[in-house]
Amino acid sequence: MSRFLSNRVSHKIAASAVASFLLLFAFPGDAPAQNAANGVYAIRGAEIFTISGAPIEHGVVVIRDGKIAAVGADVPVPADAQVIDGSGLQVYPGMFDPVTQIGLEEVEAVRATEDTNETGEFNPDVTAATAFNADSSHVDVTRAAGITEVLTVPGALGGFGGGGSNSVIGGNASAVNLGGWNINDMAIKRHAAMELTWPSISTGSFDLTTFTFRQLPFDQAKKQYQAKVDALSDLFDQARHYATAMKGGATDFPRNLKLEALVPVVEGNEPLLVVAFSERDIRNAVDFCEKQKVRMILGGATEAWKTTDLLKKDDIPVIVGPILSIPQTDDDPYDAAYAMPAQLHEAGIKIAFASFNTSFSRRLPQYAGTAVGYGLPRDEALKAVTVNAAQMLGLGDIGTIEPGKVANVVVTDGDLLELRTHVKYLFIKGQMTSLDNKQLDLYQRYSHRPKPARD
Amino acid sequence: MLKDGIIAAVGTNVSVPREAAIIDGTGLTVYPGLIDAGTAVGLPAAEAEQPAARGRGPRSASAAPQKISLGPQDRPQTTPWNIAANDLNPADPRVEKWRGAGFTTALVQPTGGIFPGQGSVVAFGGDRPGEMVVAPRVTLGIAFDTSGNFANFPTSLMGSIAYVRQVFIDTRWYQDAETIYNANHQLERPPYDRTEAVVGEALNHHELVLLPANEKLSIYRAIRLANEWQINAAIYGVQQGYAMANEIAASKLPVFVNVNWPKMEKGADEDQITLRQLRFWDRAPSTPSALSKAGVTYAFYSGALSDPKEILKNVKKAIDAGLAPDAALKAMTITPAQILGVADRLGSIQQGKIANLVVADGDIFTEKTKIKDVFVDGKRYQIHEEPSSAAPGGPTASPADATGGEAQP
Amino acid sequence: MIAKTNTKIVTNTCTMPNAHRSPALCIGLILLAAIAIVALPGAAQDQANVTLIKNATVITITHGRIEHASVLIRDGKIAAIGTDVQAPAGAKVIDASGMYVMPGIVDCHTHIAVDGDVNEGSTSVSSMVNIKDVLNPYDVNMYHELAGGVVIGNVLHGSANPIGGQTIVIKFKYGAPPDELPFPGALPGIKFALGENVKHSNFGGPVPRYPETRMGVEETIRDAFTRAKEYQKAWADYNRRKAAGEQNLIPPRRDLQLDPLVEVLEGKRYIHCHSYVSDEILMLIRVANEFGFKVRTFQHVLEGYKVADEMVQEGAGGSTFSDWWAYKMEAYEAIPYNAALMTRRGVIVSVNSDDPEEARHLNQEAAKSMRYGDLTENEALRLVTLNPAIQLGIDNHVGSIEVGKDADLVIYDHDPLSVYAVVQKTIIDGNVYFDRAQDIAGRAALAKEKQELLDKQKNANKPAPKAGSETEQKPKESKAKKHRKTPEFAELVGGGR
Repeated sequence: MSRFLSNRVSHKIAASAVASFLLLFAFPGDAPAQNAANGVYAIRGAEIFTISGAPIEHGVVVIRDGKIAAVGADVPVPADAQVIDGSGLQVYPGMFDPVTQIGLEEVEAVRATEDTNETGEFNPDVTAATAFNADSSHVDVTRAAGITEVLTVPGALGGFGGGGSNSVIGGNASAVNLGGWNINDMAIKRHAAMELTWPSISTGSFDLTTFTFRQLPFDQAKKQYQAKVDALSDLFDQARHYATAMKGGATDFPRNLKLEALVPVVEGNEPLLVVAFSERDIRNAVDFCEKQKVRMILGGATEAWKTTDLLKKDDIPVIVGPILSIPQTDDDPYDAAYAMPAQLHEAGIKIAFASFNTSFSRRLPQYAGTAVGYGLPRDEALKAVTVNAAQMLGLGDIGTIEPGKVANVVVTDGDLLELRTHVKYLFIKGQMTSLDNKQLDLYQRYSHRPKPARD
Repeated sequence: MLKDGIIAAVGTNVSVPREAAIIDGTGLTVYPGLIDAGTAVGLPAAEAEQPAARGRGPRSASAAPQKISLGPQDRPQTTPWNIAANDLNPADPRVEKWRGAGFTTALVQPTGGIFPGQGSVVAFGGDRPGEMVVAPRVTLGIAFDTSGNFANFPTSLMGSIAYVRQVFIDTRWYQDAETIYNANHQLERPPYDRTEAVVGEALNHHELVLLPANEKLSIYRAIRLANEWQINAAIYGVQQGYAMANEIAASKLPVFVNVNWPKMEKGADEDQITLRQLRFWDRAPSTPSALSKAGVTYAFYSGALSDPKEILKNVKKAIDAGLAPDAALKAMTITPAQILGVADRLGSIQQGKIANLVVADGDIFTEKTKIKDVFVDGKRYQIHEEPSSAAPGGPTASPADATGGEAQP
Repeated sequence: MIAKTNTKIVTNTCTMPNAHRSPALCIGLILLAAIAIVALPGAAQDQANVTLIKNATVITITHGRIEHASVLIRDGKIAAIGTDVQAPAGAKVIDASGMYVMPGIVDCHTHIAVDGDVNEGSTSVSSMVNIKDVLNPYDVNMYHELAGGVVIGNVLHGSANPIGGQTIVIKFKYGAPPDELPFPGALPGIKFALGENVKHSNFGGPVPRYPETRMGVEETIRDAFTRAKEYQKAWADYNRRKAAGEQNLIPPRRDLQLDPLVEVLEGKRYIHCHSYVSDEILMLIRVANEFGFKVRTFQHVLEGYKVADEMVQEGAGGSTFSDWWAYKMEAYEAIPYNAALMTRRGVIVSVNSDDPEEARHLNQEAAKSMRYGDLTENEALRLVTLNPAIQLGIDNHVGSIEVGKDADLVIYDHDPLSVYAVVQKTIIDGNVYFDRAQDIAGRAALAKEKQELLDKQKNANKPAPKAGSETEQKPKESKAKKHRKTPEFAELVGGGR
């Protein structure tokens, strides 16, 4: 029995997929939606959440040439459109998971499948898209939950990433559509952000050679930490000099790929995604970014609720996550992580949700919904799984349903954030995309196992 | 009046024989020699300096080389046959230090491992090891140590407890089996196991089995296990006794309180400190007074303190936290003597008891008081002032201390 | 005040293939259009132990949902349920208007509340160790889980060994003496584990250990039960001879490793077996049949959907994750439809946490089986209430809201199957163990106390540490720390571990 099943990404809905729709989504009287050869679709009669404006109770969304052509209550349905009956359904922009490692790993425990974390502390020149496995089961499975784009991020992700915890600069995170023929087809932006896991002062570590837990005195741990931060500062200074030399047209210096990779960062053209969790680390990281004058996005940020003044002052957006976490310390409020998005939002800070994980990427709406229960307005939660992260990363084409935007759209039978909601249809770059995936296949196969004869 | 190492008489109207050496005690106070109810002073350095990770924690590499142990049958970390009386070193410099601080007697208990050995009541005087011994086999020490790695049984606290449970079961089985076998030599001979034999003897001697019990949870556990195992037990550590005084009183178990009160380490990472720890550090010194109020029988011991003057300072903290000075003194004299079964000979100034005395120029709990003389078995030791370069007496830093957690006897 | 529940408990010896089990103890009859229910006969006159939860949507699990209903609690038990139930004078009243009351969540797989390592990993058969010896009622995770609606946990040894340690079911009475935690009368358990963890597949140990293959795992278990049977026979022989009056018999040794296995053979101890792939699940069923014991639950059982029929035949329950997968090879074919598919085939299924964070939103995890597999609302909620109670043999007492059952309840502000639901109160034996409003109200005082104690410690440590030092370059750091720390804590007299 093979344990290495993988699905080809497919744009066409195969006959079996049609059958699966019929099995799973019993809407009597529905004609199953067909892939439109001309790429023109009209979703009619659904409740539309454009995210850019007020929801439209019953409207039409027209998709053409990979983009949203029109959206509104009274938009006419084009004659050449494949019509999808949206009565009783809801339409949203596809969700965006801005910190994940989808495509970079298959089975966390199996090293050969891991391309998440290059060895060494500073790897600004590596790029996630290079290693992106378009045929990973994670792509299909995650897409089926309504996520149309991800930022796949190399590096330690503050400990949530695969591999060892040595990494400081993990590399270029790539924005990728979860549908397409191969990475060239799927990539939105290869160098969308630079990952940096802020070094921690760690007094405890696990020694793999003696298999024991080592305790380091605090001031020693501090020294180690300071050394790392100094090295990081040096590197950025060097990158700045390199940039100046390059711009000045100097030719008499050796090419340095690592420094070159940092040039867009130090020039403010590529955001720096800094992953930090504790209050102390967040303050140190913000301080560093201020000095280095880089465009900072704070990721993780469990204790960010203790630093809202600072984040607001510097207008630093925050990718929170994962929200379903226990408090950083025993004495923190039990709902510290759950309530944090609301607190940040109230302080005027722009937030987005992320999974910081591969196999849990599909929990993105669950994170957002939980935060709503603990005080985040639902409108904001919806933005925080669609357009906010796109804006943080300068990806202007995605995240809302507006004419001219890329048609990454999800159609559901209920509230996008709710746990029992089913995804009915999914569009990526204006093409209806299969919801078929390995898990659905297994479910169907074993649903059809003949029942044993009862005595 | 002391004669031949014994208190011959005490009172306001004692007739002084002509041959007596007279010491003018005007303005001085005489106390019974203080008893430290748990220390490794007098034992060889290698054993004594081990960070005795009672409870859990990695063992020092200087211990006996670890064989791989895969289960209780391999008797891991088990040396109950180590009797303190057999390993005493009268030239251990700490003996003199302890004596100089007023301690004439101690329960000297081997440390290191799950069954580290048997403790002896020891007098801090004498030239030869044998002269120091007051009672050779008084306690059987137990600590729920773990191997500190993932390969050797026991790796877990529950493994350690299960191991001790099995040892008691095996010991009692051996006693039964041996009895039956000795009357019936045609039966299958029960195999000889040194641990079973030695622990059996200790139980037959009614030695006090020492169970670790520093915080609430381990105090509950020790009370429960003492009951389950039907042993003559005492609990040691008990720094969270302030929260458990009634339960301890109800159990009727005698208590050894570690006066090395936990506190925040200098330069500790404040982010890692919890409210729970802070409360523990704040309230621990109030334990003795809580135990007194509840009617618990308790004695003080020094734990890992390396400067015996710290012992009295720490007892003073307990007095500041509400303990009556009288009660404090008892916990260092008559009560440990009673618990250890030597109260007929030690613990108070009474005719017939061993002449262990402390002569001080004031109240012993006042910091500026100086100790002038200490008598051990009637021999006088004059105490001279040390130059004040004494190293601060604090616990050696260890992971357990950093978290203010498990105490060390 | 905790009412003592010392009543003799009927142990559940029924097999579990049927999806519906009527609890044995059901005095009242609860209808969808409810009428007031008669109170428990012989109720005490004292009203101090009486609480009324008023005017909520009561989700009974066994008898549907009742709108605008109240639940009367007396002496720790559910005394009455219905739309017309009134509070006797002097009773405590909890106004739950607009809220939802459901049975407290039962987590069938947890490792919280354990003092020390949760694995005795040195030996592949560690049945001599017992979680009961190391229960820790002060674990703050317990409080966090109460805040997530969990009231009962099946506290398990870890998955390091094919045969692990003895396990126990507890009520989450946070802060109570450890002896008050075990669920009265619940049968004890033992943890088995199959697959990659016990084979050390994904980490290197200091020394290699048998077994390293699934084949060896089977033989480890067979060998242990072979020895257990010999041990059982040796004792039976001895007892028989002694009873017949024979003298001078040396008894066999008591072996703490084999005692629990004999209890398994005698049906007095449940097996909870961590397992993933179909072949190993089938293996244990086969070995169980060979030696004549039963498997109570397969835990995780992520490929349970492939062998659901075999599980039903064995009478084993499945306790699984909602949607975890792909973290190791044996989890690669896990599907989020597992719970639903097994349910449809007739397995009694629960959804568990195995994780202190996951346990805080098991209601959410249960709801996922409505998306993945189309379970109904009640089927989904059963996954974390009545079903785990059945699996643990405690469904006579908990798992649904019925007169006579323990008052272990949770109050939510939204439908518990909604992602927006937040626990307001968690009640065990009629006592409130978590109250969100009180928790929030108490934070400032705890923060103040912590700062005061911290300052006291620092002053005692003369000299004071360098100002603003330990952490970073900016002095405002230490100022911010003073304002912002808000320690979180339930009342815990004495603190400490």
